[in-house]
Amino acid sequence: MPAERYRERGGFFVDARMKHGLEELPFQEVSAPPEVVLFLRQHIGPAGKPLVREGHRVRAGQKVADSDDPLGVPVHSPVSGTVVGLRELPHPMSGRPEPALLIRTEDEGMPTPADEQDPDKLPPEEILARVREAGVVGMGGAGYPTHAKLRSGRGARFLLINTKESDPNVACDVRLLRERAEEVAAGIGVLARALGEPQVLVATRTAPGELPEFERLAQERGFRVVHIRPCYSVGSERLLVPEVLGFEVPLGRYPPDVGVVVHNVATAYAAGQAVRYGLPLVSRGLTFWAQDAGGRNLWVRVGTPVRHLLAFMGLAEERFSRFVFGSALMGWAFPEAGIPVVKTTTGVVGLGREEPSPYARPLPCMRCGYCDRVCPVRIYPSLILAAVKKGDGRALRRLHLEACIECGLCSYVCPARILFTPLLRDGKAFLRVQALTKG
Amino acid sequence: MAHMARTLAEGPGIPGPHLHAGFTKDRWMVGTLGAMAPLALLAGLALGPRAAVHLALGLGTALLLHLGLALGERIVRGRVLHPSWTSSLVAGAIAALSSLAVAPYAVTAGIAALAVALKFAQGWVFGRKYLNPVAAAKVLLLGLMTATLGLERGLMYHPHHLDWIDMWTREGFEGGLWFLAWGDWGPGLSLLLWKTHTWMGGVSGLATLLIGSLATWLLRYKWRISVSFLGTMGLLALLLAGLTRGDPLLRLAFHLFTGSVIFLAFFMATEPQSTPMSAGGQYLFGVGLGILTFLLQQLNVLGGSVLALVAMNLFTPLLDRVGLGRPVGLERRKDAR
Repeated sequence: MPAERYRERGGFFVDARMKHGLEELPFQEVSAPPEVVLFLRQHIGPAGKPLVREGHRVRAGQKVADSDDPLGVPVHSPVSGTVVGLRELPHPMSGRPEPALLIRTEDEGMPTPADEQDPDKLPPEEILARVREAGVVGMGGAGYPTHAKLRSGRGARFLLINTKESDPNVACDVRLLRERAEEVAAGIGVLARALGEPQVLVATRTAPGELPEFERLAQERGFRVVHIRPCYSVGSERLLVPEVLGFEVPLGRYPPDVGVVVHNVATAYAAGQAVRYGLPLVSRGLTFWAQDAGGRNLWVRVGTPVRHLLAFMGLAEERFSRFVFGSALMGWAFPEAGIPVVKTTTGVVGLGREEPSPYARPLPCMRCGYCDRVCPVRIYPSLILAAVKKGDGRALRRLHLEACIECGLCSYVCPARILFTPLLRDGKAFLRVQALTKG
Repeated sequence: MAHMARTLAEGPGIPGPHLHAGFTKDRWMVGTLGAMAPLALLAGLALGPRAAVHLALGLGTALLLHLGLALGERIVRGRVLHPSWTSSLVAGAIAALSSLAVAPYAVTAGIAALAVALKFAQGWVFGRKYLNPVAAAKVLLLGLMTATLGLERGLMYHPHHLDWIDMWTREGFEGGLWFLAWGDWGPGLSLLLWKTHTWMGGVSGLATLLIGSLATWLLRYKWRISVSFLGTMGLLALLLAGLTRGDPLLRLAFHLFTGSVIFLAFFMATEPQSTPMSAGGQYLFGVGLGILTFLLQQLNVLGGSVLALVAMNLFTPLLDRVGLGRPVGLERRKDAR
């Protein structure tokens, strides 16, 4: 039984009732949309260059964009059809306009799996190549290229699989563990093989026995399943590492620097599909949630506009004022239904016209200290906010703004309803600019 | 930082979070008023109708002035910068509960009005409060009264106490506390349970301690300030009791449970805007407040805790820089600067 609320630092709670019952709902396969909107960038890193032009016919699984950059990842068409244009649209990961290919669907068929490969017989370098070619990126929300993470994590002591799924509106990871346990376990095995067979830990907020099939497979394969406390902030890899392993990731460094590679469970699944069957990442599971309609777990092609999801579920577009992509605490919201799902979209929340933003009318900071107490990385958002407003770079460095994980908890508990996250992001950008200017 | 604000408007995306815990400033203020309500009731029981009149005056004056100033803001600035009238009600309640029942009504009303005016004025000038409005209002008004009407009528310093109490000797201290005794109870028990010669919010030291602690827990006041303030007062009281070979419990009761200490510890010293944010800063603030208050008590400025509070408020910007703690991931040997 999932917890009704997550306990955070300082004795605060995050309401997790949105998840109620969601874990019991199997994935529903959503049909292909009439027109796919495929961003050339689906991850953290540079956008790929389009390999097709308007009028080109593409087949499902065909590579349509790629980049030579070490952090570049190809993008594949999720449908067979014709490229009808290249447009700039607001990107669900950045909130800003970015180029996207528009592909008119002509055939709903999915990419065909190749003959199964035994990952244990493949050299790690071949696994990395296959993962990259399939366009696999971190699917928990951050979108770091998986091949790059695997490369930097070679020789790691631990592979930590994050099935924590701490966002209050997302339940697709647990569904994946329930419905595709064998594929997920195989995918974890693929990642472990690429890393040099580290100890595998699977962090989950489910109670022992709630995932019987996966737990059995994990035992067979020697994975250790770690049941961790229901807590939103622990979903961040920077906090998951100390929670599970008892040591911290130093500021300015990443988990692989301390011998840990953290991957989301959906990433493991996608990597498994890529290496074993040569299948590109063109679809994923996500959770849709709306106040009146409740939640659904959907299996969706990348590039599917929200409008098509609404039509699939029989929901009228007019009743919604905006849609949140990913975490309801961290994601961007857009006031239109034409924005598509990308590889990192773990969920979509439809907010009605009668649900205005709680941060629309903030009051001046009252220095109550709620944000400081709840901050899971133990920084002082209130003081940082004042320094950001003054443009005081010295103070921002002294207050260790760089430690902020942008979890949104400071805003969530703020009695003055101040939207901290964008200001904290701006402060980080300000520091980066200062550092560059000083050379 | 105009360039920072601009980046937010660049894209059509609305940044998260999109959920809120639901606890607002007004709920916080109403919670604080609710915590003070039983103290006001006790003041009424102990001090009679005068307490109710003080309270009504404090609340009424604060509310009226708030509405007037908010209207002025709307007319002059085109929008209300201080929309939370519950915050002014809290100021009014504190103005009343930090008064003596025997004080003139006009003084309570004056403090409440001045507190709200200071609250607004600090917001206009500095964008936040640097001084606790009620404490600053008390210091200002009572200081002016002292300067113009003399020490005896200034209501802060009580020279007539010097006729019967000597805070520095055992005999002078223990023999001079008779005025705090209630009925057959000795001064120690009266200080703890029921007294009438005190701030109205501290009629029962024990009740204020319990209610204040509960409010601190439920409303998440800056508990480090209350703890270090009372802890410092307690330690100094025990030290002085040891030096003068006096009764430690009586010293503790006096220095901890006079209304000006126990009420201030929870409902004034923790005022959020004028107190430090950092954990270490809050501890230092409480310790400094304790030392200053203790010294003022020793000099017979028995309600002098407000003076100490205003003095410590001035150090808040400095104290914000100390005791920030270690963020997750910061290596211990790394210099925090």
